[in-house]
Amino acid sequence: MTLLTFIGMIVIPLVSSPLVYLSGRLGMHETTLHRRSYLVRGLALLAILLAWIPFVLSVQTFLTGGTQEFNIEAIWLRVDGISLLTAAMILTLGTLVILFSGPYMAGEVGEEKYYAMLLAMIGLMIGLACAGDLFNLWVWFEGMAISSYLLVAFYREQAASLEAGMKYLVQSATGSVMVLMGIALVLANAGTLDMPGIREAVSGSDVNRLALLGAGALFIIGFGVKVAIVPLHTWLPDAHSQAPSGISAMLSGVVIEVGLIAMLRALSVLPGFSLSWGVLFMAFGALNMLYGNLLALRQTVVKRMLAYSSLSHIGYILLGLGIALYSGMELGAQGAFFHLFNHMLMKGLAFLSVGALIYGLFLQNDSHASLKITDLAGTAQKYPLVALALSIAVLGLGGLPPLAGFMSKWQIFVAGFQTQNTWIIALMVFMALNSVLSLAYYAPLVNMMYRKSPSAQVLAGKQLSLAIVLPLAVMMFAVIILGFAPQLMDWVTVPAAQILITMFGQ
Amino acid sequence: MNFTPLNIILIGIAGLLGVGFYGLLITRNLIKVVMMLQILIKAVVLALVFAGKLSGNLGLGQSAAATVIVADTIVAVVGLALAVQVRRRFGTLDVPKISTLKG
Repeated sequence: MTLLTFIGMIVIPLVSSPLVYLSGRLGMHETTLHRRSYLVRGLALLAILLAWIPFVLSVQTFLTGGTQEFNIEAIWLRVDGISLLTAAMILTLGTLVILFSGPYMAGEVGEEKYYAMLLAMIGLMIGLACAGDLFNLWVWFEGMAISSYLLVAFYREQAASLEAGMKYLVQSATGSVMVLMGIALVLANAGTLDMPGIREAVSGSDVNRLALLGAGALFIIGFGVKVAIVPLHTWLPDAHSQAPSGISAMLSGVVIEVGLIAMLRALSVLPGFSLSWGVLFMAFGALNMLYGNLLALRQTVVKRMLAYSSLSHIGYILLGLGIALYSGMELGAQGAFFHLFNHMLMKGLAFLSVGALIYGLFLQNDSHASLKITDLAGTAQKYPLVALALSIAVLGLGGLPPLAGFMSKWQIFVAGFQTQNTWIIALMVFMALNSVLSLAYYAPLVNMMYRKSPSAQVLAGKQLSLAIVLPLAVMMFAVIILGFAPQLMDWVTVPAAQILITMFGQ
Repeated sequence: MNFTPLNIILIGIAGLLGVGFYGLLITRNLIKVVMMLQILIKAVVLALVFAGKLSGNLGLGQSAAATVIVADTIVAVVGLALAVQVRRRFGTLDVPKISTLKG
């Protein structure tokens, strides 16, 4: 594989982003408005489909040749298990979201900006997953953050969206200041920013361990804002509930996970702290699970409830990673990475099916109201497929066998028990209890949808188009199939877990 | 503590960070919030150049600082644009008054 075949994954979405924007701005006649919307959507979809080609080629080379490294002058890019897993997540959800957004965003003011920013965000996130030096990691991260601020505040006619966008911007920008201070500390001690180079430079005995620990703490706080680790999560429920549904799916399905990948990459350059990071990850994981579940219980707006459930799922993932870092066991990381992928599928499906309902019940009736849980009553009679998709998504999130969510939680569970450590086993029991607790808010959703008497909103609902239903069907099948055949993802979760253990190796 | 040039820069970084975080905590005006973020970033720019100087790799620190300046200008632009829209929709820039999302 040469640099050219691989770099397409990053370059195609990034280059097509301004092209899509310009194509939406061509020909300002009112009469062409409709056709222009189709042009923009088509181009965006074409761009993301083209980006699959370099991805497939990279996977092929990776399976035969292992980890690859490339450089453009001093910028290092690395294709390993973790970057391929992340790229797979981003491209899968990105393609489906662009398809879904076609009818959902049709006729909105600034539709072309939406697709341009979405494509830019996709390209930047894939770049982040491949970044091989600390400063470029930050550059990709900041680029991704900027495009997501604009997407969260996309409905700028609405006060609540602006408020959510502003909150997100201020918290995220403060987080990125922390990350940069951490980078400055590392640079002062190591004299280089290349990841393997830093490890080499600071593994001697004459380095200031305290400064490195401080840098690690700054990385955890800084990236932790994006990951929504509990005391730093306050932007998340607002941003997820106010963004357009496709963006809610992207935010919850990939953006927070990519933040976690960035955190792992940054922490991996500081050798000798794996035990502390492991304990910290497990503690934050437990906190996230409990807090996310308890707050999700008392929500009345569906998207807000799903946003809080993202907090608890980040908790499961952190727990799996914590086990891997603490005990050096690959199985924990494998489970965590599998859950990362499954969470993308399930939460993406949940947000997209809620989006489909919002589209049918509100948007087509020119309303921007938020979907309450009580509005869901009887949706199964009018939208059987959407109701089924949302049920499968939330039951999968709740960890009901034989859906995908159960399989990945089970892997983390088994890994925890294999450590033979009393504390970790207690945490595993805590996780299982949390998983049961989460059904307390997922199950009423399913119950509500299958009621006999439809709500007034459902009766007034409009039909859905194929482009909205198709992504739901695809993801629904993926969730079920991964539940029956979890080994389908082994080709990438196993190398990702191996590279994680190597990255943090003593 | 004697006032060598390096110490003065260190005090400057700490001072800017202190001013930025303190301001971020007490200010109620959105424009001022964006300004405070900019002050924090100035501390970071200084810190990156300083770190480059300390480690003997000044070029790396300077190029990182230049990139940070560019990236953060964009954040400031987006932040101010949002503040303008907030002023239009809410009629105020006072942070407690634009807080409607809760729970």
